[in-house]
Amino acid sequence: MKKILIADDEPHVLRVLKMSLEKEGYEVDTCPNGVEALARIERQAPDILITDIQMPLMTGEELCRHIEEYIPQRNFLIFVLTSRTEIEHREWSRKIQNLLFLEKPVSIRNLVEKLDDYFAGASASRRVV
Amino acid sequence: MKAGNRQIVALDNIRAAIGFDYKNQNYTMKTNQSFGLIMIVATLVVMAVTVYLLFDYQRADRESLARAQGLDLVRLLGGMPWRELMPDHDRRGLLEVLKRGQINPDFAYAAVIDTAGAIQSEATRSGVIVPPVSIPEMPAHWLGQQIVDASSGGNRFIESHAPVFAGDEHRGFVRLGYFEPQFKLNFNQMPFLATLMLPIFLLVPLFYFLLRQEIKPLKQISERFDNLADKAGLRQVELQPSRALSDFMQQFNSYIEATQTRIESLNQEHEDLQMSSKLLTYKNNRIDTILQNFPDAIVVIDEAGEVSYANGKVGRLLGIEHQEIIGKKPREWCQDPEIVPLLTFGDVKSSMQTNQDTIRIRLDDHDEKSLQFSVYPLFVPSDESRILGRLVVVRDVSETHLMRQRQTEFISHISHELKTPLNVMAMYSESLLTEGADDAEYRIEAVNVIHDEVERLSTLINNLLAINQYELGGVVAQRKHVRMHEFLEDTFDNVTQGRGAKGLEFDLDIPREMSMVYIDKDLFRIALNNLLTNAIKYGKPGGKVKMSAQEDESSIEVIVSDDGLGIAEEDQKQIFNKFFRSADDNVRQQAGHGLGLSLARQIVQMHHGDLSLSSELGKGSRFTIKLEKVSTQIMDAAAS
Repeated sequence: MKKILIADDEPHVLRVLKMSLEKEGYEVDTCPNGVEALARIERQAPDILITDIQMPLMTGEELCRHIEEYIPQRNFLIFVLTSRTEIEHREWSRKIQNLLFLEKPVSIRNLVEKLDDYFAGASASRRVV
Repeated sequence: MKAGNRQIVALDNIRAAIGFDYKNQNYTMKTNQSFGLIMIVATLVVMAVTVYLLFDYQRADRESLARAQGLDLVRLLGGMPWRELMPDHDRRGLLEVLKRGQINPDFAYAAVIDTAGAIQSEATRSGVIVPPVSIPEMPAHWLGQQIVDASSGGNRFIESHAPVFAGDEHRGFVRLGYFEPQFKLNFNQMPFLATLMLPIFLLVPLFYFLLRQEIKPLKQISERFDNLADKAGLRQVELQPSRALSDFMQQFNSYIEATQTRIESLNQEHEDLQMSSKLLTYKNNRIDTILQNFPDAIVVIDEAGEVSYANGKVGRLLGIEHQEIIGKKPREWCQDPEIVPLLTFGDVKSSMQTNQDTIRIRLDDHDEKSLQFSVYPLFVPSDESRILGRLVVVRDVSETHLMRQRQTEFISHISHELKTPLNVMAMYSESLLTEGADDAEYRIEAVNVIHDEVERLSTLINNLLAINQYELGGVVAQRKHVRMHEFLEDTFDNVTQGRGAKGLEFDLDIPREMSMVYIDKDLFRIALNNLLTNAIKYGKPGGKVKMSAQEDESSIEVIVSDDGLGIAEEDQKQIFNKFFRSADDNVRQQAGHGLGLSLARQIVQMHHGDLSLSSELGKGSRFTIKLEKVSTQIMDAAAS
């Protein structure tokens, strides 16, 4: 079973995503901030990380940079949920491989399709900047 | 410059032009004054020389007389028979006769000696002893003259000698001596000398007087020049000069005239120059003042790469006094590796371009600035392909930078705050449409969440609008007389209705009779709403949310309290800041945007009131709005 880790400070988002993705057959783990997410990744790397940007203690951006720096050999995909559409707000991710942006509001169906595609190996190396 | 100085300058020019040596003037004057003295001395010298020559002539005359007479007489006496020369006891000798008959005052002695040199007969002037003498043996020299020293005393004699014969026999010599005339002043001749000297002496004053007459015009010219130094009034010299001087005077006067004209035109030019110099100074000062007061720092760097001008703002922006950098290259006074390249210019091509760059520098620990460097080439006015240097304008854009940063942050926050509830709503509604639709419990949960998020969005939008208006200065409190009791009750009910989900107990404790207050009801409702929704959000399940009010003579207090999470001490300082949200997990569990308290405080402050907080982590929070009654009464009076 593919493992998905979700980091978001909105409990409602965590709840609905967990419920929906579990129904799709994924094993879902959730945490409310970047620090906890990092701890869990270090313990056991997920197959997918879904993270919000604005979170207390450690933002999604900081989380991604940490992962890039400390786990350079990582092979899991990162989805970043963002409220911003402008390119300059995604500038920081330019050097980070295997990272996709998902713009809010997020469609669960859309997300599930992307996950299915990814795991089917169709878009393993696709990267959106 | 003073008028006097100006004239002296003009005068010096004239002096230079006519070769007037100012420094020698005193000397010339002194010479004139002692001229008479010198003439007297010269005259005396002339007189002395005259007297000397006169006496010397007399002496030479006497000497030649003595020589001629001596020689004549010895030749005569030598021709006499020997015995004639010898005195008898009853007759005076010839020599005695000769002595007595001698009128020459220089006569000293006459003697006859034998061939052995012994004196056979003599006649001397009293006090004179016939000196011994050797007469040459050669007969050719027997007749002759020689100078003989007296045997005693300092006298010398001019002695003439001749041989004496008795028949053919040489018996001896006759010697005749005269005093060698010495140069001496003969005071017996004083009357004669005085008569001689008087005309010479009288010539002196006469000559001096005539000379003075001739010199007078020159002296006046000299005096005029002296006056020039004091008054600088050039006037033609009006004199009746002698004919010899009149040509000179004429030329001199025409020269003065030309000089006068020249001075006038020079003065005019000088005044013009002074005027334009003053004007230039004024303009220069004005430009300098403008540049010094320019809000940006200005640095002009010349072709050599050195600073040729810098205004006072350089000190504030770059941290070095502007006087200290003049004439120095930027490398010598600037250590910042980012600034130096902006002030130094490599190739000509790049220096011809206008550059602009913004950098952040840190002057000291607290003072970080954003500086915008704009570099403009200064082209030679007549030749656009060459540059005189570069103008560097340094502008402090910290404020703009900060504002832009805040704006970006604000928009970032807003979009996050708007999209987060939207995201939640989208996810729940989507899940309702699909798999969750069958589960009744989930449907209720989803609808509740969506309802909450709608509420959250609506409050957020209201707050945003209010804040926007407030920040644009557009909010003018629309004050009205408000019955406090009814207003508080109404607001409380509106917020608490249907909020019993957490099992909260709501308590409203307000006096029945309260003064009318003069407030903007709508704004005040937003403030109270924010305080109450916070109390509900962060109250503990089954806890109590209370709103109370109290009034005394000077103020009205409205207190909203809960017994929930409370606020950590370090968060209390920031709790009223815009967008601040505690990092506490329990807080994050609740939807929020960090605007409510910030706005509430702004609204209370608009009413000249105060919003304060007392809270303890884990025990609850207590927000107190304090309104001064005086201010509301004054408003009241002003309104009526």
